[in-house]
Amino acid sequence: MTGLEHAQKYWYPVAMLGELNDGQTKNTQLLGTEISVCGSNEESVTVSSAGQLLAVQCQYDHVWTTFSDDPYPLFAIPEAEEPGRRFVPCGVVRVSCSPLRAVENFLDIAHFPFVHTGVLGAEPHTEVYKYDVQIDEKHDEVFATNIRFFQPQASKSAEGSIETEYIYRVPAPMAAILYKTCPPKPEAMDVITLFVQPIDEETCDVWPWMALYDDTSTMADLIQFQQLIFVQDRSILENQLPRKLPIDPGHEIPTKADLTSIAYRRWLKKRGAYYGALEKI
Amino acid sequence: MTTEPIGLAQDLAPKGVMRAQIGHADMAIWRSTSGVISAWENRCPHRGMRLSHGFVRGESLACAYHGWHYDCDAKCHYIPAHPELEPPSTIRPAIYSVVEKAGIIWVNTAGTATPAELPDRLLGLRTITMQCDLSTAAHAIASAAQTNAALFNGSVNDINSDQTILSLANPNGTDGICILFQQPLAQSTVIHVLAHDSYSQNELIAISRWCESVRREAERIMQSSNKVEPAK
Amino acid sequence: MSITLYNYVLSGNCYKVRLLANLLNIKYETVAIDFHPGKEHQSEPLLKLNPAGTLPILVANGQVFTETQAMLVWLAQQHDPSCSWWPINNANQLAAVVQWLGFSSRLSATIGELRLHSMLNNTINIDSAQHGAKICLRELESHLTEQRIIGQQWLTGDQPTIADVACFPYTALSPDAGIEHDEYPLIRGWLHALRSLDNFLTMPGIHELHELGSTIRDKT
Repeated sequence: MTGLEHAQKYWYPVAMLGELNDGQTKNTQLLGTEISVCGSNEESVTVSSAGQLLAVQCQYDHVWTTFSDDPYPLFAIPEAEEPGRRFVPCGVVRVSCSPLRAVENFLDIAHFPFVHTGVLGAEPHTEVYKYDVQIDEKHDEVFATNIRFFQPQASKSAEGSIETEYIYRVPAPMAAILYKTCPPKPEAMDVITLFVQPIDEETCDVWPWMALYDDTSTMADLIQFQQLIFVQDRSILENQLPRKLPIDPGHEIPTKADLTSIAYRRWLKKRGAYYGALEKI
Repeated sequence: MTTEPIGLAQDLAPKGVMRAQIGHADMAIWRSTSGVISAWENRCPHRGMRLSHGFVRGESLACAYHGWHYDCDAKCHYIPAHPELEPPSTIRPAIYSVVEKAGIIWVNTAGTATPAELPDRLLGLRTITMQCDLSTAAHAIASAAQTNAALFNGSVNDINSDQTILSLANPNGTDGICILFQQPLAQSTVIHVLAHDSYSQNELIAISRWCESVRREAERIMQSSNKVEPAK
Repeated sequence: MSITLYNYVLSGNCYKVRLLANLLNIKYETVAIDFHPGKEHQSEPLLKLNPAGTLPILVANGQVFTETQAMLVWLAQQHDPSCSWWPINNANQLAAVVQWLGFSSRLSATIGELRLHSMLNNTINIDSAQHGAKICLRELESHLTEQRIIGQQWLTGDQPTIADVACFPYTALSPDAGIEHDEYPLIRGWLHALRSLDNFLTMPGIHELHELGSTIRDKT
């Protein structure tokens, strides 16, 4: 199976439910193929490619589609059912980078003091403490746990610096979910996801989505906080060489802080998720 | 591979970082706080980030992504995520030979940089990039030198006999300006312009504007010659 | 004195106002407007404030400004007793500042539009915007070359003015639109000088100069 054939078996976000507009067709690309999104709501939305209708489902405030007749199921996010959370679709940002590089960057904490300075990190608090990474065999997902990091402003709801706890979950090659300390509700965790629409192997549309406990911030505040963070990453992602993610060890030099990325690359390789990856150097 | 001029020394101040390309080599060129200049492969070995986006701290260049610090020998000496760790000495980007001479930064990607000999008393004026091939640029320069009697006497001297350095004499026949061609990239030519120290400020401004006219003319010629080529 | 900026965190024009306010130590409130994906700037409450449907909008002591250049003039005139940022006592320089304020609109119309296209996939005439952007950056590079010849570091003199602030954001953000600074050494030096000013403020796409230690960061 080629990397493309493997990638075609997953579901991808291609529009936000909130942006559907009656009578307007949204033309976009998925895995190098032109597709069209039509319809005005969850019931009427269709996605087609070269005149053929594709499978559609609406989840997590987005429209998802797949090229496969027998796709892997779309991953579950149980927190999306929890009452009291605010669900925040953050729009889309296009990035000229491999979809896999976008996911890997989302799983990285060591860059916070330099790229998200004063918000998610700040010198001299640069040390990445030991954390754990494992593969959840039942769901075949990457999990990173026990991550702690000093953050000057962990979220819109944070008042001042805190040590934040992170858990990362990679449920599909082009999606990642972050569970993070929730300042107003210490017993719960905020959920921040990165849904990636692969335009082609070196371009992606990124759809951040959040499920938060925050009763005070306006929707615009929450969205802009997330956009600020993501667009700070954009200029990094567009300047990594090679553009595709080197999936074999040897081309780049990881450290202990990169355990999640090491596990992610191995996991991609094991399942043949080579779309957007550099297989041979 | 020969030694190439990649920029004016004055355009890379202490704590400055720039990017240059010679052939397929993508380079980060940077100057430390004390003035030491280095030319490296433009790629942090950690996660492939272009080092030309990095920042200079003292005598180190640090990567913009994770702040890995490299000293002037390109050895990584500090990884912020592991402050106590002594990084293995194998972590280093490839380095290129670089020297500064006659106001120019010279790089050789395959040997020791040996700058060309240039006339004395030249000062850096500007670097300018033209969307045309080298011969179109050289041709436009030569014709323009003959139509500006206020600045040049019209004679164009090919210093190395290979059209990589042109010298244009000033109206009284002595040294005027030198134009150094950088090895061309696809569809673009970079020239570095040096001017004799006897020119006045107004004359230097006139020469700078003359360079822009030359560029417009060279690009116009290039565009019209592209139009007659058969469609690809 | 109350100053409220209706703000979008990724807008280069909104950033001009935040940047100058920070450089001059002016306190202000921000109201986040959901430009993307919500198109809130086109909603009725915002159109009542600014029928043009653009951002930023600045409300200062009840007066509403909808043109960025007017906001910069107002902030500088109100808060810069040295008259260096808006040099009203020097006719030649003042006119040059206004000239560059006009130029900054060309940067917005070319690089700014290209950036929205590259990031948010807005529909634009790409060829025309790319051509216009190149003309602008070459003009800026040539001007800065002439400034260096006469010994001046900034656009209109030996001190920064609101012209530098107005032209800085979209020039600095051009890589977001796929236009690198490699060809423009003088522009690189000028951007570095501006980023080195006391009380400089960052925005997404314009990272902090970590060589300097602590600059004020945007947390809006």
